[in-house]
Amino acid sequence: MAQGQAGGTPPSDAASHPGDEAPAPVFKPPRQPFLEVLGALTQRRTVVLGVAGVIIFFAVWEVAHYVTPEEKQRFLPAVEQVVAEIAYLFAEKNFIADVGTSLYRIYASFFVASLIAVPLGVFMGCFVKARALISPTTGGWRYLPAASFAPLLLVWFGPTDFAKMALLFLGCFFFLVALILDNTLAVQRELIESGLTMGAKRRQVVGITFRAAAPAILDSMRNMIAVAWTYLVIAEIIVATDGIGAVMMRAARFLHVDIMMGGILTIGVLGVLTDISFRIASRVLFPYLRVRR
Amino acid sequence: MAVFGRGRTAAAQTGANAPVEGAPPLRANRVTKSYLKGSVIALDDVSFDVHANQVTAMIGPSGCGKTTMLRLMAGLEYPSRGDVTMFGQPIMGPGPERGMVFQAYTSFPWLTTRSNIEYGLKLQGLAKAERRERAEHFLDLVHLEGFANAYPAELSGGMKQRVSIARTLAQNPALLLLDEPFGALDAQVTWEMEEMIIEIIERENKTVVVVTHDIQEAIYLADRIIFYTRQPGRIKADLPMEFKEGRRFHKKEEMLVHPGYVDMERRLYAMMREEIRGRVS
Ligand SMILES: Nc1ncnc2c1ncn2[C@@H]1O[C@H](COP(=O)(O)OP(=O)(O)O)[C@@H](O)[C@H]1O
Ligand SMILES: [Mg+2]
Repeated sequence: MAQGQAGGTPPSDAASHPGDEAPAPVFKPPRQPFLEVLGALTQRRTVVLGVAGVIIFFAVWEVAHYVTPEEKQRFLPAVEQVVAEIAYLFAEKNFIADVGTSLYRIYASFFVASLIAVPLGVFMGCFVKARALISPTTGGWRYLPAASFAPLLLVWFGPTDFAKMALLFLGCFFFLVALILDNTLAVQRELIESGLTMGAKRRQVVGITFRAAAPAILDSMRNMIAVAWTYLVIAEIIVATDGIGAVMMRAARFLHVDIMMGGILTIGVLGVLTDISFRIASRVLFPYLRVRR
Repeated sequence: MAVFGRGRTAAAQTGANAPVEGAPPLRANRVTKSYLKGSVIALDDVSFDVHANQVTAMIGPSGCGKTTMLRLMAGLEYPSRGDVTMFGQPIMGPGPERGMVFQAYTSFPWLTTRSNIEYGLKLQGLAKAERRERAEHFLDLVHLEGFANAYPAELSGGMKQRVSIARTLAQNPALLLLDEPFGALDAQVTWEMEEMIIEIIERENKTVVVVTHDIQEAIYLADRIIFYTRQPGRIKADLPMEFKEGRRFHKKEEMLVHPGYVDMERRLYAMMREEIRGRVS
């Protein structure tokens, strides 16, 4: 066996008696630095690194709190103080109702925005003339800052839920339309043409385009709902009746920094959960994108 | 997606018209196609007939208008001058009687192999049982029996192209149009597919127009080769594959040793060289 390496015994000899031969030594690839180029990660290590990032973030925050001079520390509370404050809000201040209200506003208005934006975007993507007619207008609307409509909406609809949700709608609808139009236009042209040569009519062509763009559309929605949170807070701060934003606005009056930061943290957690839900929905709705074998 | 520019889907119109007695399956009649307000002349006054139950290959240097001609036949574009007729009727849009296989993979990612094959049949209003049966037949024909329930993402490039071919054949088109169908495949898969196409053509007895840039492939598949010049696109030569004496080679290597093949290949290389001389590709 040893002379196999030293004397150069023909390898065919070894191949014919695989049982006699010890297995080839395990190859040790060179150690990779942390900033490995084109590396691949196991699922587990990906999660470990992600969690580590979160822990580092909170650690930096915690350190920042303790290096702040004693008399100013109440402007930058420690992580545990903020978490305790959130727990207190839920336990004593019926914070769950505010969270529920905010969630309802964001999901309901985003749902309505999507309900119109998705068909409109796909429609414009399918038909040149419709696109030429509508796209410049909806595209232009993106440059009208939604926040600047807040006073106007307040005058029109008063401090109602509707005013807040209208602001949310304005904030994401036109961007959503533009993104979905792009997703639709990115559909491979041959996919539609092959449909046409199979006898697809206008209706089926729209169907093909929608099915082909659907994964990208869901991705656009996932990215857009993150932006919707911004408008939610703007709406609830300007008309501070209820909701997470209102709780924060009231806290600001009494310099309750821990409540304000608790509100921000809550929104962050809800945002991440929303993002995860969208990713799960994508896996469930588009199983064909992942190779099983 | 400018395919909708012409408004009303014309597929229905072509189907409705009765074929003219004795007219060829396809006829290009003084076809000119220009782009960019006439600054690019893809095809310049091209006329020819496609004969029934023949394989017609169109070859020529890159950019000579092969794809353009095939798209005109499919009804995906319209000529600037002249017309393309099918059994005597001008082509007024795409339709299932002219099946097309593209170079790009076009099987629908959200459908399994079987559903992809059944898609066109569903559009034609076939009952479920019959769709199943037809799909089964064409799955066998392209040797994908074991992959009926796989999604395109799970298939190799060659398999995806088999799905496209099966799906197109299943709609039972009078004409089969192939635009560099194996252009994205590697050499070994390509000749496997070429032999499969020959096998299918023999069994299904189709009229086929195939575009290719591969001289060997053109000679292997074709009963007749139309060679285009570039810019403006015109027919340089129209060559029947007489050396085949009406038969087709089931194995490619049988053809490669045929003196007639060697001759034809030399001629086509000479033409290609003439065309590309002095031009940088
Ligand atoms: N939609 C288009 N717009 C402008 N020019 C085009 C278009 N389609 C094709 N052409 C031009 O027409 C010529 C022929 O193209 P094509 O038929 O694709 O060539 P081939 O398939 O033989 O390589 C080329 O010069 C190409 O650039
Ligand atoms: Mg081409």
